[in-house]
Amino acid sequence: MSTFNDFLSTVKDDLMEFAKENLNAYKDELLKDGNAFIEKAKDDLKRWADGLATGALSKADFEFLLKGKKDLAEMEALKQHGLSEIKINKLTDGVIGVVVGSALKTFL
Amino acid sequence: MIKINQITVLYLFVISSMLLTACSSISVYSPEAYKQAVDLKIESLNLMSSATMSFSDYREDVAFLKTELSKAYEFAKGRPNNEISTKQWEILIDENRNLLGGFLKRWQDEDTLSEMFVSEAQKLVSDAFDTIIGLESGKISPSELK
Repeated sequence: MSTFNDFLSTVKDDLMEFAKENLNAYKDELLKDGNAFIEKAKDDLKRWADGLATGALSKADFEFLLKGKKDLAEMEALKQHGLSEIKINKLTDGVIGVVVGSALKTFL
Repeated sequence: MIKINQITVLYLFVISSMLLTACSSISVYSPEAYKQAVDLKIESLNLMSSATMSFSDYREDVAFLKTELSKAYEFAKGRPNNEISTKQWEILIDENRNLLGGFLKRWQDEDTLSEMFVSEAQKLVSDAFDTIIGLESGKISPSELK
């Protein structure tokens, strides 16, 4: 029974280390992408407003571009959702590796 | 006896984790899908540049591009576990939305479009293609699957 408890303790430590390494890196990546999108949207909006003011863009042009930005945000969210799923799959593989590695360390 | 049960539990845990991975709703990387998206991005942006001129002069080019876009959409739709990429293509080519499909429709309806509008819409469409390309290139290649 103590061997199994040792195993659980090893898994817990190894998983904690694995999660720290992988999740922090992913959180930083997501925040960087999100902030870049917002910054770009701000610049676009300013340029379009200037275009509307000078007559380079019509009201219909301006509305189209605004709605286009919303559609783009949806596509970007889908990309992030897909990449998260890929990351989760990789993490699941990593967790399997950690559990098997801990079992080998403890039982063999 | 207890030890056998513990190893069985461990075995079941590993197997169920593997099954969870196998049931994912994201497909593996496809070089064909990647190339298709890159090629269509270039072709679309090139054709969009002509939208300051009369649509009637480009009617056939637009019809050809639309066919190629439909092929890409159907290819995405036909791949297993590829709902997310399919949805991206759907948004990009939908005539009732405001990306490539909406742009081509507007060009047809209005015959010519302003220079600034074309240039700004190209940036949006370019970024939209990049979301498709970015997701595809982030997918796990079949050789990485164990």
